[in-house]
Amino acid sequence: MSARVDLLALPRPKSDHAAPFRMRRVGDHVVLTSVAGRYAILDRDEFARFAAGDVPEGTPLFERLKAANLLRDHFDVPAAADMLRARRAFVGAGPNLHILVVTLRCNTSCVYCHASRANMNATHTDMTPEIAEKCVDFILQSTNPSVTIEFQGGEPLVAFDVMKHTIEYALEQNRSVGKELEFTLVSNLSLMDEEKLAYLVDKRVQICTSIDGPPDIHDEVRKLPKAYGESGHDLAVEWTRKINARYREMGLDETLYHVEALVTTTRALLPRWKELVDTYVELGCRALFLRPLDPFGFADKTGDRIEYPREAYLEYYRHAVDYMIERNKEGVEILERYAAIFLTKILRGEDPNFLDIRQPAGAGIGQLAYNYDGAIFTCDEGRMLHEMGDDSFRLGHVDETSYRDVIGHETVRATVIAGQLAGQPDCESCAYQLYCGIPPVHSHKTQGTLFERMRESTLCQVHKGIQDYLFEKLATADAETRQVLERWTTIRPRDHFLHAPTGG
Amino acid sequence: MPNPLVGVPEALAEAELGESAAHLMVDDSIYPLEAVYGASFTFLDRCFVLIDRPEPGRFRVTLSTKKPGADEATLRALVGEFANELLAQAWRRKIVEENRATLEAVTMQAIGGAMGPPTLDELEDFDFSEEPFEDPLGIAMSWEEKYGKKTPPKGDADASAASADAAAEDAAEDATADQDSDAKGGAE
Repeated sequence: MSARVDLLALPRPKSDHAAPFRMRRVGDHVVLTSVAGRYAILDRDEFARFAAGDVPEGTPLFERLKAANLLRDHFDVPAAADMLRARRAFVGAGPNLHILVVTLRCNTSCVYCHASRANMNATHTDMTPEIAEKCVDFILQSTNPSVTIEFQGGEPLVAFDVMKHTIEYALEQNRSVGKELEFTLVSNLSLMDEEKLAYLVDKRVQICTSIDGPPDIHDEVRKLPKAYGESGHDLAVEWTRKINARYREMGLDETLYHVEALVTTTRALLPRWKELVDTYVELGCRALFLRPLDPFGFADKTGDRIEYPREAYLEYYRHAVDYMIERNKEGVEILERYAAIFLTKILRGEDPNFLDIRQPAGAGIGQLAYNYDGAIFTCDEGRMLHEMGDDSFRLGHVDETSYRDVIGHETVRATVIAGQLAGQPDCESCAYQLYCGIPPVHSHKTQGTLFERMRESTLCQVHKGIQDYLFEKLATADAETRQVLERWTTIRPRDHFLHAPTGG
Repeated sequence: MPNPLVGVPEALAEAELGESAAHLMVDDSIYPLEAVYGASFTFLDRCFVLIDRPEPGRFRVTLSTKKPGADEATLRALVGEFANELLAQAWRRKIVEENRATLEAVTMQAIGGAMGPPTLDELEDFDFSEEPFEDPLGIAMSWEEKYGKKTPPKGDADASAASADAAAEDAAEDATADQDSDAKGGAE
């Protein structure tokens, strides 16, 4: 038996009072977003009144809709233009992040290794000092006045001499170029020693590491041979504490200056969200980035053991962030990075310029990656694909390709176009369009096209799921929860790590 | 022997299990050829893709798996993915048309801002020899280039004015001739 609906009897929505908007149902509420990304969260009754045009002037609902720039007769054009400009402030700035793979050698075997590591005897995968210098010369041509050189691998500490040479050369060259220069090291810390740390602290190199959960999970997915220590987790924790203590001794504000740790979520971690949060809090971390697995590198082959449906990931995410909010209410300061990125866009109307969640994505115009042999890629994921046999995102080589030829490369143009969600089915009408972003390299790897089919995209599922959760929170939050979420949008620059344009 | 695929109308797609291939029929009043090309291209890593037009108004796409021996479920998945990608391509084409101005403005600003101005060395290497664009009506040409400069004898102002009048008359005649020629071409 089928139910019949009399469509003619349904209330007819009116559009003559509404400014252009996008909408999405979230739980018992409807999220409306304006063309510039202001939002209003309505309950069902309020939405019915909005749809029918039954919102008398002067009522609280009218004022909320007006504040969100959702009423045609009160549409504030300059405010909308200002907000759109703020959301795209990064467009045209040029590449800021430059990832240098100083070696592919790594002493750890991660089951998901995105970098496609090489064995410790593969010395041919070390960057030479000559290539490093050419990379620096290339990087300093960026039109962006701020430049970050991020050392990745492999394990960059394996090629510490190359790193040192790169830092010294970059500082020297920058005396005449005058960029705001920063250095970042991404390391498992197992090869750290006092001498290396002293150098890194002296050169104000920001240090990031991976903590993939409680010790048993970390050591299971990031296997460290016994020759280097009993536990990779313990070594990472030990050095994180030492480095943080060193910052404190230097008089730096520990809420701002500490080792940044990242987690890659594997299947075994999903039910252990509480231990994960506690691990990070206990370590003194102020941020936890609940990243799902990427489809690059070894994860492509080990997926059977470590992958999971994204519904399960979103459940883990909700539990973990609920718990983090509770810990914040107890006075602990820890934020979830995904939430902070989206909330900054939602609540502040600004873009924190996270390269993988912005439009256009950062590939080529916001970041570049340099392989150990001097080959240049749109991003580190593009370099990872190269290691998997796919050269689609290779832009040239520091020996033979000019800066302008790299930026003007047809692949960069294609990724810039593909990375704009205004040209994408689904996104074009999605309430979250102005808060979101999809890196085209992900689309290429998972769907064989630069233009992601969002309904089949695990990344879209994650982004939508997280934003649904955040809007649910905003719709129902008490004052204390709201305060926590707003605090997560605070951006505080870490000036200590900056090398000023004078080269000092 | 063609086999139907579960959940797919028989008139639109069928599988050839023995040949490890699936055929899809695409109505060209619903999907433009560019969308068929675009969707086909995303299958090149897995399939040999053949496109033909067995009857007016319909494209036929054959997806033949590179690894032989694909079963029905595999072929059904390929057909389903192709259909979804075809829809995405067709709709995206329409959306891009409507949002073209925004997309182009952002792209120009992003690439231009990241590239910066050319260096002097790069300017030296630029090739300025080619015409920047075709100019069949001579809009960008000077009067002299278009109609020929008739240099008057030195000191003869009257002759110069007469020469300009003659050039104007020539131009008017040329324009009339062009119109005649166009009209003729149109009639043919």
